[in-house]
Amino acid sequence: MKCTQCQMENIEGALFCEECGAKLESRQEFVEAADAAAPQLVLSTQDGSKLDIPAKDEIVIGREDPISDVFPDLDLTNYGGMEKGVSRKHAVLHRAGPDYTLEDMGSTNGTYVNKKRIQPHVPQAIKAGDEVRLGKLSLSVRAA
Amino acid sequence: MKNGLNVRCVMSKDALLRTENDQAVYAMVEITSGGRTGFGAAGANFALVLDRSGSMDGEKMDNLKEAVGYVVDHLSDRDVVSVVIFDDQVETLIPSQPAKNRDEIKNSIANVIARGGTQISDGLKAGLEEAKKGFAKDRVNRILLLTDGRTWDDEELCLRLAEEAGKQGIAVTSMGIGEEWNEKLLLQLAEKSGGDSHWIENPISILDVFRSEVEGLQAVSAINLRVTGRMNHGVKPVKVYTTVPMIADASAKWIRGGSLLADLGTLDGKKGQTLLVELHVPKQKAGKFRIGQIEATCDMPSEGITGQSAKSELVVDFTDDIAAATKVNAEVMNLVEKVSAFKLQTRALTEAEAGNIAAATQKLEAAATMLLNLGEQDLAETAEREILSLRKTGTLTALGTKKLEYGTRKLTHALK
Repeated sequence: MKCTQCQMENIEGALFCEECGAKLESRQEFVEAADAAAPQLVLSTQDGSKLDIPAKDEIVIGREDPISDVFPDLDLTNYGGMEKGVSRKHAVLHRAGPDYTLEDMGSTNGTYVNKKRIQPHVPQAIKAGDEVRLGKLSLSVRAA
Repeated sequence: MKNGLNVRCVMSKDALLRTENDQAVYAMVEITSGGRTGFGAAGANFALVLDRSGSMDGEKMDNLKEAVGYVVDHLSDRDVVSVVIFDDQVETLIPSQPAKNRDEIKNSIANVIARGGTQISDGLKAGLEEAKKGFAKDRVNRILLLTDGRTWDDEELCLRLAEEAGKQGIAVTSMGIGEEWNEKLLLQLAEKSGGDSHWIENPISILDVFRSEVEGLQAVSAINLRVTGRMNHGVKPVKVYTTVPMIADASAKWIRGGSLLADLGTLDGKKGQTLLVELHVPKQKAGKFRIGQIEATCDMPSEGITGQSAKSELVVDFTDDIAAATKVNAEVMNLVEKVSAFKLQTRALTEAEAGNIAAATQKLEAAATMLLNLGEQDLAETAEREILSLRKTGTLTALGTKKLEYGTRKLTHALK
């Protein structure tokens, strides 16, 4: 039975992943869930780099700044975040089962979904195929 | 006489789906004595091993003296007590003797002056000698070790002494005051001997911890508790955890091939004992399958009973009914989740110690999520703070480490 969070193979019947501690569904529940639900999403940059999204239900996206004690879950510094106007705490990606929403955290240069600026602090549903822009940094939303 | 010992086994799933491969199933084994307590009247053998190093001076030493006085006042004349004090030298202040001369014992303690360094093994060795002198099979035999500092270059010897004590039926209760002591060592001393460990944040709480030890002694309902698990052919016990007095992985100590043999020492009449056993079960035909049998045996000297025994069967149903096989028992699930949080935290600390910051962070993040699910807000926040510390400095804080180590081990206390 494969853990959906870290891909570790666990023995059938295990309740939690031995590697990352994520709750495991039995194969049957997992198969049924996979049939019914939308696939997991990943974010990738324009050059195709896949971003490493932590296995959490709330993922803060931004730029790391140790001086201000800001350590986002998804740090875009190495993807041109600074040059492209990504705020230190720019947006938060919420995950609820198969559903994802993106919420702007009051960023300076705004968050866009399919070229439309979203209102700060109002979560916006996103799905595979959408384009997300944080300031001037574009990210593609894809199925895992 | 009515059997005072009860064993209750609950499986994580009543039904398992028929598959081609081995699968995991968990058994929660609860051992209780029908609420019986009061065994303490039958006798205790307490060896107090106390740190009097220079750093104990002041509030710590004053509170310690008061706490020792409380213990002495609450032991009965039939109980046996000894007191060993140590810094980088050791002194047997009160050799093993009946706890009758209370004033004499308290006066000896009152004259102790804090001085010197910390050499725990010397104290533990002398304490074990005294505990052996007062040892009796029908007594609760215990060493209470208290320190506020790190010992130097004798950790291995300390662990060997704790193991020796455990084999002889003498449990070590280790207590650390403040922040400057080695929690890993103190927890291992308790685990190796089948004892408990306490973190005393504030010297004023020393008395509370000593009081809980005395109350725990009075709550002992049975001694020489042994749990035997005999498994059906092909069934493998792979992990076993105790949950009282704290969560501890006892797999290496108690799993012998396809069997389980656990010497638990005493049974607390109020808390009982709960074990979590992870089993791997081979493929089976449809129908009832007997995984194995759990048997507990103990003595209850206060009632004149030896060799008391109780048994319970581990049974599941192998089925093709998917709906039936996905039902998980909520009580067992909760216990597995608590043990998993403890495991994650332990692995995170091991990774951090080895300098694997990314792995330590990932484990702590997972532990924080699990602790939140369990409603353990404070512990989850501690884990979050330690994640920040790891990212900033590459290390964990002494305070946060102690909170996580002790907090996750005692998660099961809410069960009782």
